[in-house]
Amino acid sequence: MSADSTRRFDDSSAAQQRFLSLFLRSEREIFRYVAALVPNVTDAEDIVQQTAMALWEKFYAYDPAQPFTPWACRFALNKARQWIERRQHWQALLEHGLAEELAQRRQELQTEFELRLKHLEGCLGKLPQGQRSLVEGYYYERAGIQKLAERSGRTTAATYKMLQRIRHSLQLCVESQTKPEAA
Amino acid sequence: MTLSFPSPEFDDAVAAVCHGSAADAEMRALNELLRSDSGARDEYLMRVELHARLASEPDLFSESAEAPAGAAMSDLSLGDRCRISPSKPEAPRPKRRLGRALALAACFAVLATGVRGLWFRRLATRNGATSTAVAMLTRASDARWSRNTRPLRVGGALEPGWLRLESGLAQVVFYSGARVVIEGPTELQLISPTEAVCPAGRLLAEVPQPARGFHVKTAQINVVDRGTAFGIDATRGQTEVHVFKGAVEFFTGTLAKQSLGEGRAAVVQGSAPPRLMAASTEAFASMFELQTRSLAAEAVRYDQWRVTSARLNQDPSLVVHLDFESLSDSDWTLRNAAGKNRSVPDATMVGCQRAEGRWREKQALEFQSVNDRVRLAVPGDFQALTLSAWVCVKGLDRQFNSLFMCDGFEPGTIHWLIRNDGVLGLTVIGPASGKFQILASSPVLTVDKLGMWLHLAVVLDGKARQAVQYVNGFPVSHHTLKLGPPFRLGSAELGNWNARSGPNPAPSLIRNLSGSLDEFELFGRALSDAEVHKLYTEGKPESDM
Repeated sequence: MSADSTRRFDDSSAAQQRFLSLFLRSEREIFRYVAALVPNVTDAEDIVQQTAMALWEKFYAYDPAQPFTPWACRFALNKARQWIERRQHWQALLEHGLAEELAQRRQELQTEFELRLKHLEGCLGKLPQGQRSLVEGYYYERAGIQKLAERSGRTTAATYKMLQRIRHSLQLCVESQTKPEAA
Repeated sequence: MTLSFPSPEFDDAVAAVCHGSAADAEMRALNELLRSDSGARDEYLMRVELHARLASEPDLFSESAEAPAGAAMSDLSLGDRCRISPSKPEAPRPKRRLGRALALAACFAVLATGVRGLWFRRLATRNGATSTAVAMLTRASDARWSRNTRPLRVGGALEPGWLRLESGLAQVVFYSGARVVIEGPTELQLISPTEAVCPAGRLLAEVPQPARGFHVKTAQINVVDRGTAFGIDATRGQTEVHVFKGAVEFFTGTLAKQSLGEGRAAVVQGSAPPRLMAASTEAFASMFELQTRSLAAEAVRYDQWRVTSARLNQDPSLVVHLDFESLSDSDWTLRNAAGKNRSVPDATMVGCQRAEGRWREKQALEFQSVNDRVRLAVPGDFQALTLSAWVCVKGLDRQFNSLFMCDGFEPGTIHWLIRNDGVLGLTVIGPASGKFQILASSPVLTVDKLGMWLHLAVVLDGKARQAVQYVNGFPVSHHTLKLGPPFRLGSAELGNWNARSGPNPAPSLIRNLSGSLDEFELFGRALSDAEVHKLYTEGKPESDM
């Protein structure tokens, strides 16, 4: 390699490393930002995937003086909009400006969410074993609902209902742990 | 179909949206309700947020992380096996689709990055204690904290949350590098390494280049640093911003972004246009003084370290001394500063980021991704060894977090690591293959020690058949060595491990450190307790600590 191409290679590789390091730090937050609009996990992940590609393509325009996450979330919002536009089903939920309203309101509530959800791990620990392994199977292993239903001997409808109940009790738990002054 | 809130129908509809099983009619009804009822909308967002957290934070499920497979012979036997659920020894690896997003992003530039092209494997199972700390309390002067503030100590890590200083002065250094002095009465909420909220009180912020973009929110405005020193004096009704160096930007919900240059100040009250005036250093005099005192003290400590470091380099038993000074972006070589023994050539840095060390002027290397490592080759046989490192551990993300590990499991080699429960471990592999001894301390690296600079050392005395581990100059565990010398190190890594297990190591074989290292020494002899203690006292960040 000539000195020049070596330098170019180093530049691109350094940029890639910078990008990945920034993206990795923000990835979960970008996912949650998207999930506020499209809560279904696999769909939200598709949008994050498309966002990642768009971000890398436009990374040259990123100003390192600006925080990365808000910059990335603007792309995520665009990608989510495009994605929703092509799916009538999701349009029904998010039309008439609700998508923008949700994104905006979530930003406002973020501190509040942080405050409550920092108790989530503790609350997960308090779940009875059966409930815990169901949540773990669904969210962590990403086992399909069919498989989880088989594992527990429930119908798929009952498994969905169970997940709903578990989330409800987790929510009650984090809320009861959140005292106004205990930040 | 219409929905009301609160109602069981609402509950079902939200759950169905999360599961991706909602019917169109349900979606439309939810849309109508959420647009008209702000209470329902907030509740909806809270539920979705909880659902999204569960889906995006594998760390939440750390306790029952999978058992390491194929633990034939390794430090794995150090593992806390009773925590691993026997009912599912081979739980399937979670499908990390987010990981694939990343892999795709990486594709754009993966040309021939060689050893540097594997970052996305980071998404392997994570477990263990991770500090969520965002800053450190570095100095306090007559500080009186409100009873609502958790007990604080100088040198301790600070997690996101409120600091309520009733009187006196305190300095907080954010992990981004921003240094903030507050003067009581002040309420400061730490949000992230680059963000704080100050609804009431006075602060002085000094923001070095890497921390640019650091921002402070008051009741009225957002102040975004653009490479500066600035002061804020905030009450519930009014905010003053004074720029002493560089420039800041500030904005409110209604005001457009405005820039404020050096020597200028602005007063913002309600929605009225900001009133401009000259910056007043007098108003922040006591905070400037603390900042200056602190910088002077650091500079003195740094200079002292440089002197003792130069002396140390003359020790003929010093085989490796990496001080991570003079790091540059273009050079991947780390100079071995040992002056009398040149058997070890310079080390090579792979990945890693430059970071701030024990003092502001001291450089450090930050290890973060699975690929970050420092490689070195140490030839020869040793009858005794001493390893010493200054390390700032961010989190014990892995089951085993490498400090210094020889490649693979070769005879005569060692693995020095921190286990995810805070135990310091040294595995000594015998001269014949198949034999090894694990020297484990009690859990000494407790969560309160994460995020601060620590001196760790281990002495391996082959002749006396004993080994001692140290934290901050004090012995924390003694062991009798069952396996004798010679010790042969060969190829080894700092902050990571080359398992020699092929291109796709099992998660249990990924042992990268999460944290920074700013000095490493390897001696070819056993240092005494007193000598190890001296290494600590001569290198400790603050003289009064």
